[in-house]
Amino acid sequence: MVQQENILAHFGPLSYEEIGFLLNRMTAYVDKQGMTITIKKKVYSAMVESLENIYKHQDIISSSNEYQPKFSLLLNEKEFSLFISNSLLNTKVEPLKEKLDRVNSLNKEGLKELYKLTILSGDVSPKGGAGLGIINIAKVSENKISYKFETINNQYSYFTINVIISC
Amino acid sequence: MNALQIEPTEFTPKVNFDPGNNFFEISGFSRPENVIGFFRPILKWLEGYSENLLSQNTDFNKKLLTLNFKMTYFNSASSKFLLDVLLEFMKFKSKGNEVEVNWYYEDGDEEIQESGEEMSDMLGYPFKFISYNP
Repeated sequence: MVQQENILAHFGPLSYEEIGFLLNRMTAYVDKQGMTITIKKKVYSAMVESLENIYKHQDIISSSNEYQPKFSLLLNEKEFSLFISNSLLNTKVEPLKEKLDRVNSLNKEGLKELYKLTILSGDVSPKGGAGLGIINIAKVSENKISYKFETINNQYSYFTINVIISC
Repeated sequence: MNALQIEPTEFTPKVNFDPGNNFFEISGFSRPENVIGFFRPILKWLEGYSENLLSQNTDFNKKLLTLNFKMTYFNSASSKFLLDVLLEFMKFKSKGNEVEVNWYYEDGDEEIQESGEEMSDMLGYPFKFISYNP
């Protein structure tokens, strides 16, 4: 049986300070395990991009308790596994799926090229997103990002991604 | 022209732009809550510096500008703005100034090292890569 350790979990709205708190707990854990700085930076990047994404879009949280933002970090024998969930408008589902499918279809070089094209052409949105977050997550993960969308109602869906980072 | 000096915070890097010594450095950690609010004034300052610099350049005396990045971490939104800072320096280069870009990374930190290599590649401009032990 594969051993699995739950390192971090968060449920509900996030403040900017709480993101820092979760990051500090992760780095303390990784340092204690004596893992390399590269692994630490990869998990750090994936956490920042995904948690900041929750933070920036948590104004569209469904009132239902079931569909609050959610984050967890697990360590299996050879990999970190991050689960990140939040709600979003149904109109955002298709563009996001397309983006995820696109990054999942690319290898490391392809992701670098997409990152380059996006950073050189993309404007920063009023919320500070530069459209680079998912590409960055895919780059540090080096694994396919699995995802699912659950329909909440005719306006919102609940979105979950699972990011794997091999140790 | 006055120097631009910004002290670091928990979420933002230290900025030391010292035109008197032709020395420009951004160091530390960058994950600003308001990324536009943090970087816009820096880019604005560089626009002002550009005019100042051009007025001082003569055919026989164009300054060598040193730009150092000593980042420990920056998020993807910050990377867009760090690239914008670099693009401003590329404009100085196109006006005839020599620009030396030094990209520091902690020994073994492949993430920061690769980010610098990608930026160098995007600009088609060589950086000097310098590893250090913290």
